[in-house]
Amino acid sequence: MNRRDLLIGGGLAALGTLVPATARAAAAVARPDWTLGVTDILDDIAPRSLQRIHGRAPDLAGTLYRNGPARFRRGDSASGHWFDGDGLVRAWQLRGNEARLAARFVDTPKRRLEEKLGRIVQPGFGTLQQPGAIVGSSDDTNAANTHVIKAGNRLLALWEAGSATALDPASLETQGQVTFRDDLKHMPFLAHPRIEPDGRIWNIGSGGAAVYVWRLSKHGAFEAGEAVKLPMASYIHDFTATARHLVILCQPWIAGAMKLPFSKSLTWQPELGSKVLVLDKDDLSKASVFDLPPLSFFHLGDAWEEKDGTIRFDGCFHKDVTFAVEGAPGLVEGRYVHVERPELNLVALHPDGRATLTPAGITAEFPRSAPELAGLPRSATVHVGGYTGDRPFARSVGSWDWVKGRHDSFDFGARHLVEEFVPAGQHHLIGTTLNLDAKATELHLFDARRIADGPVASWRSDVALPLSFHGSWVTA
Amino acid sequence: MKTLYLAATLALATAGNGIAWASAPAAAPSSQAELTVTFEQIEIPEGQILLSLYDNEAAHDANGKPVRGAMAKVEGQAVSVRFEGLAPGRYAIKAFHDVDGDGKMKTNPFGMPLEPFAFSNNARPEGGPARWKGASFDVPAGASETRIAIQ
Repeated sequence: MNRRDLLIGGGLAALGTLVPATARAAAAVARPDWTLGVTDILDDIAPRSLQRIHGRAPDLAGTLYRNGPARFRRGDSASGHWFDGDGLVRAWQLRGNEARLAARFVDTPKRRLEEKLGRIVQPGFGTLQQPGAIVGSSDDTNAANTHVIKAGNRLLALWEAGSATALDPASLETQGQVTFRDDLKHMPFLAHPRIEPDGRIWNIGSGGAAVYVWRLSKHGAFEAGEAVKLPMASYIHDFTATARHLVILCQPWIAGAMKLPFSKSLTWQPELGSKVLVLDKDDLSKASVFDLPPLSFFHLGDAWEEKDGTIRFDGCFHKDVTFAVEGAPGLVEGRYVHVERPELNLVALHPDGRATLTPAGITAEFPRSAPELAGLPRSATVHVGGYTGDRPFARSVGSWDWVKGRHDSFDFGARHLVEEFVPAGQHHLIGTTLNLDAKATELHLFDARRIADGPVASWRSDVALPLSFHGSWVTA
Repeated sequence: MKTLYLAATLALATAGNGIAWASAPAAAPSSQAELTVTFEQIEIPEGQILLSLYDNEAAHDANGKPVRGAMAKVEGQAVSVRFEGLAPGRYAIKAFHDVDGDGKMKTNPFGMPLEPFAFSNNARPEGGPARWKGASFDVPAGASETRIAIQ
């Protein structure tokens, strides 16, 4: 950490009461430019047209819905972690060459309370609760800020430790937290459901040493649910699935006695290694467990099963939890801890009970693949990458081919913060970047077969939106 | 956060259990206290309210044994319970509305409470039952009343 980081980050916070306000304002001006990626949005973004700045779009019509935290500070108070800001759902609407943007905050109990108080009070993943907090259930702290999918005729804004929140796909107006069945109110519903090509939705909710397995119809209606015991009480952000199996990777970041914020309840225990629980979708009592070395992760790619029974899936693996525990909270403070090095790996679970890891040799996050191949054999993994260590966040988008060992990627350069890209139709990728020079968020469309050629078309908005996490392309 | 909610549930689920229901001493000396607890803003006029009365911080905050318990049938938007023969002093109440009348707090599969609950002083839950510090109140000699919104 250099002197500037020290001044801007922890040092300043510690000295805050001793430094005159004018000096603090001067220091605030010196915040690194990437902190635009964790800036605050105060109000909903009214629908507006985007300016096309490059290329011509193919015949593609639909909406890229994205979700991510967009309010971290109120008055003198602030979220203690990047994961705890209020969810802002953005709709990037594309019709030929015309693109539009609208965005609305998810109207959660947490946001309503904090708007009223003018302070951040509710506890979160890495945020301590403050006087005035009201926590009758986990959903009182639900930031609805991690992912958004379309299920039936509504959007679901997803979080991790509580309910999905339904929104109107056209107006983005919040309809309310979803209770799939009366006795399942407040049950956790992870932000990473696995959706089969025909639309059926599988998800899990994490509860320490157990998970609740959700099965929803393609219309988003509850079909079945069941609690399943885990090999260990791992922190779970994501899981994956083949056509026939649920695959739950358990990392040695273990939930113990409850402490606040929640992240303090977790301890990194690498001596336990990692375990993979594989469940039969048709009979959740049919389970097998595989062993892997200790690894830390947030995101996995879709899994598939090969003819000989081998199950494969990719993941973006960290060596330990430094990024989650120290890196991500520092981002909100404008402080960068040099630990964001997620490495793309392919996990193979062999029929003889062995599990192996194959590194691609690149840094990558936010792995996505074609929705029509979810759970089926595939070779390509779309991802962002180019983590350099001189600043946080990705700067490139790419596709890694596991069969050819080939990487096709485009580097937006040091002046763009790159967000997740997702497949749009058969041949395209769509995603957003935050342009630090223009101080504006941009929408980019790529030919998925020629990513290195750069975007086929790009549009620029007139707002700088803080970085979002995940989203879905919904064809018009 | 699950562990904390689980703790909250266990505390509430045992409200009113394992203690004598009757609370009528033979004769109430004038130095004793009579407390009326009125639950109001009840949303569903069915079932019963189960409550536990605590007279000390240690038992209250550790989900220990209450000094008294009571059950009140719910038929409208409000219902009252009277405790007689109490020693004047500081008390706190944990209560839940057993809407389905099965005598237990309804929970989801991870043990999070799904029936209305409340604490004296209308103290707010903070990821678990309200603490003694926020929920306790003085009960003087003679008759007094406290009101709790349960919803």
